[in-house]
Amino acid sequence: MSGGLMFSRHTRHLWIAFFLIASGAAGGAFVRSQLVPSDFGELGPYRTVAIAKNAALPMVHQSDQTCIKCHTDVHEARAESPHQAVACRHCHGHGAQHVAEATRAAENPGSPITPAQEWDGSFGTSVDLFVTKDRATCLACHTSVVGMPESFRSINVAAHLEEQGAENVNAKDVCFECHDGHSPGL
Amino acid sequence: MSGLLNILNNGGSCGSGDSSSHACGSGGSCGSCHDDSSASRREFLAQASTMMLGGFSLSLLPMKPDGAGAGGSTEEVMYGFLVDTERCIGAGKCLTACRTENNVPEGYARTWVERFVHYKDGRVEVDLVPETGYEGSGVPEIDPETVDRAYFVPKLCNQCTDAPCNQVCPVHASFKSPEGVELVDPDTCIGCAYCVQACPYGVRFINPDTGNADKCTWCYHRIVKNEQPACVEACPVNARVFGRLDDPNSEIRQRLAKVPTSVLKEYLGTHPRLHYIGLPQEVT
Repeated sequence: MSGGLMFSRHTRHLWIAFFLIASGAAGGAFVRSQLVPSDFGELGPYRTVAIAKNAALPMVHQSDQTCIKCHTDVHEARAESPHQAVACRHCHGHGAQHVAEATRAAENPGSPITPAQEWDGSFGTSVDLFVTKDRATCLACHTSVVGMPESFRSINVAAHLEEQGAENVNAKDVCFECHDGHSPGL
Repeated sequence: MSGLLNILNNGGSCGSGDSSSHACGSGGSCGSCHDDSSASRREFLAQASTMMLGGFSLSLLPMKPDGAGAGGSTEEVMYGFLVDTERCIGAGKCLTACRTENNVPEGYARTWVERFVHYKDGRVEVDLVPETGYEGSGVPEIDPETVDRAYFVPKLCNQCTDAPCNQVCPVHASFKSPEGVELVDPDTCIGCAYCVQACPYGVRFINPDTGNADKCTWCYHRIVKNEQPACVEACPVNARVFGRLDDPNSEIRQRLAKVPTSVLKEYLGTHPRLHYIGLPQEVT
């Protein structure tokens, strides 16, 4: 049978080796093309679409910049106040639904805007929009706690209320007898 | 091609058929059965598959170097984070904001705030700020008279330039976005928790709802829309500052330039992009 072949035995061995290696590489390349996502490695060793997936998550909390577009009076009241840095949502909820409704109402006058609701007392609340005069919102920050910087205006609640002669020390809105939420006049 | 196949066939039959009785060097008719005439079919297949495996490993070579194409864009936008421990009041506003914004399950956290209390008797104790703040949380009050000094240290993802969590991911689900934010690919992650162990800052966890690795992303979905991260937005004393390091006029660049800052566990060489003002030495 060797007579009919055009290669010597050793060359044939080389060809066999080449054929085996080449078929291994081709098979590997095929498997790889099937398993590796097409957008993998465009920007780095990851799928490019994963960036968009992370960026597309819904934004729950509305920024103060969004709120003061309409509520300019509050913006002015807070301008000189230390409470300028306090996020609207701390006392009024994250407002995603409210902003959506207000945006719609701005385009189509008469479109309904759900009025603010009662606060359920939780800072992680799912209540979209609320208006409250509750000491809990104040004391979350202003109760004196070991570890606070001295420059921060914290109070010993009981002593402060007694000192200021508060009428009903247990009232929810006791802080608002003297202080305005937006411009507390500290 | 047919010649090659012939040889393959002959080699096989010769080896397996009569290799025991076939004397090598007798110049037999079987071409491939000469010096290595004792090669059995099994040996032939073993050698052949080794060669194919060698070829297969060739196909595993990277098609292009890691990060190819990212070179230009990495420099365009680069985010940084600054935490001012001298301002933090431990109100916990950032904690609830993060939980609701990112849907973090109870018992897990993407960001937390530690309180370090140095007592006069030399003890140093660390506790976690409750999410509601200390007011009404039931955490026992500390007598200020027994305390030398105390301060709060907010913690979140350091977004290391050389991130150990990124390096250990076996499926390339952990990656760094072109803006330098470490993210998790939710579809690729297999939840092996290798990255959870690799993070020297303990920032990662396995989210029981998704089964994926979860971590602080500096609210990537917000910052790409030019919004601030939820915790930064929520902080009532501006203890958290987020901004673009590539913008020389940004607040974070100004403050980094003018105030001495430090990073956590600098000795690890992870080069965090989370900087701290007033970070005491004992904080790690």
